[in-house]
Amino acid sequence: MAKVSEEKILVERFGRGDDSAFDRIVARYAAEVAALANRLLGWPQDVDDIVQDVFMAAFTGLRKFRGDCRLRTWLFTITINKCRRHRRHLGRLRSVPIDEMAPNLCLNEHAEMVAIDTETFAQVRRAVRAMPARYREVVVLRYLQGLETAEICRLLRINTNTLNVRLNRARKRLKDALGELTEVTS
Amino acid sequence: MNEEQIKELLQSTDQAAGLPVFARLSANDVRRRIRRRRLLWTGPPLAVAALVVLGLALWNLRLQAHRVTPPPKQDKLASLETQVKQLQAQTQATLELVRDVLARERQTQRLDALEAELASIPDPVEELQKQTDRTAFTLVYQADRLYRELNQTESAVEAYQRVIQLFPRNRWADVARARLVEIRKPRINKSKTEGDPKCVSQSV
Repeated sequence: MAKVSEEKILVERFGRGDDSAFDRIVARYAAEVAALANRLLGWPQDVDDIVQDVFMAAFTGLRKFRGDCRLRTWLFTITINKCRRHRRHLGRLRSVPIDEMAPNLCLNEHAEMVAIDTETFAQVRRAVRAMPARYREVVVLRYLQGLETAEICRLLRINTNTLNVRLNRARKRLKDALGELTEVTS
Repeated sequence: MNEEQIKELLQSTDQAAGLPVFARLSANDVRRRIRRRRLLWTGPPLAVAALVVLGLALWNLRLQAHRVTPPPKQDKLASLETQVKQLQAQTQATLELVRDVLARERQTQRLDALEAELASIPDPVEELQKQTDRTAFTLVYQADRLYRELNQTESAVEAYQRVIQLFPRNRWADVARARLVEIRKPRINKSKTEGDPKCVSQSV
């Protein structure tokens, strides 16, 4: 509740022309926006352009922000839209056939059950990247960002059933892609 | 592989990927970037539009330079009207000049005619002199006839005196004086024929 009131104060201060309020907003949410963009784009690490785009859009539209939702949610919405646009524009995250990932699978038979080496992480990243955007988004928002169902529905403008369907399908795709890996880990 | 395992796997992968790289932003940076982006978005189209306009203008200028545009009809009519007016003015001036020359010529002819007419008129003084001379001669002639043919000496003397009185400077007045001298002197030499009426008439 304190966070919400502080967000409102920052937005009001920015509306009155106080640039330091925007600096505060950037300082508070830049890391979260960058993390979300990084996950949505498949961990490219360099998400500077996306973060800049997000905050430029926020700077332009913050005076129109009505406060219907949290500022964080609003920034996340902008981030999701920017990532979609970025993907469409660059075509970086094309769906990769699962067969192409199979030769890269290299399991360390001597490792512990919970230990996942770098190659395993790369396998997971490739599997996430290979998913369509609608599944990747729900996976990222639910399992990595840890958002609630209602907030995800609000961000993606979908209802709960659609969210559940997408989550189920996303999990199935991940299971299919990481089948051998899950057998080993289990 | 249940949901928890998937979640654990994804989170482990995310942690292993590390934190993303991004530059810290400030409001001034954002404002500057917005300005730069706006310039990038609007600059090239404006430059292209300016080039197109410039090209069209140059093309139009080139067309106008090559095209010999006929003068508009109204301008042509106006120029023709002006030329006609100039010609009319020149004709009028020439006609006035001709009239002036003709008038001067007529005046000259009239003047010559008048001069000729004037030249044809005899000198009145001379005419008067001739009349006077003729009158004096007539009087002397009549007096001579009275004296010589009719022997009326008194009447002849009166006539001679009248001539001298009327025309004192005339040469016939001298003749009359000579006759008077002759009458008053006794006749010595009648053979002399001075003042003979025949000679006088011949001299006239």
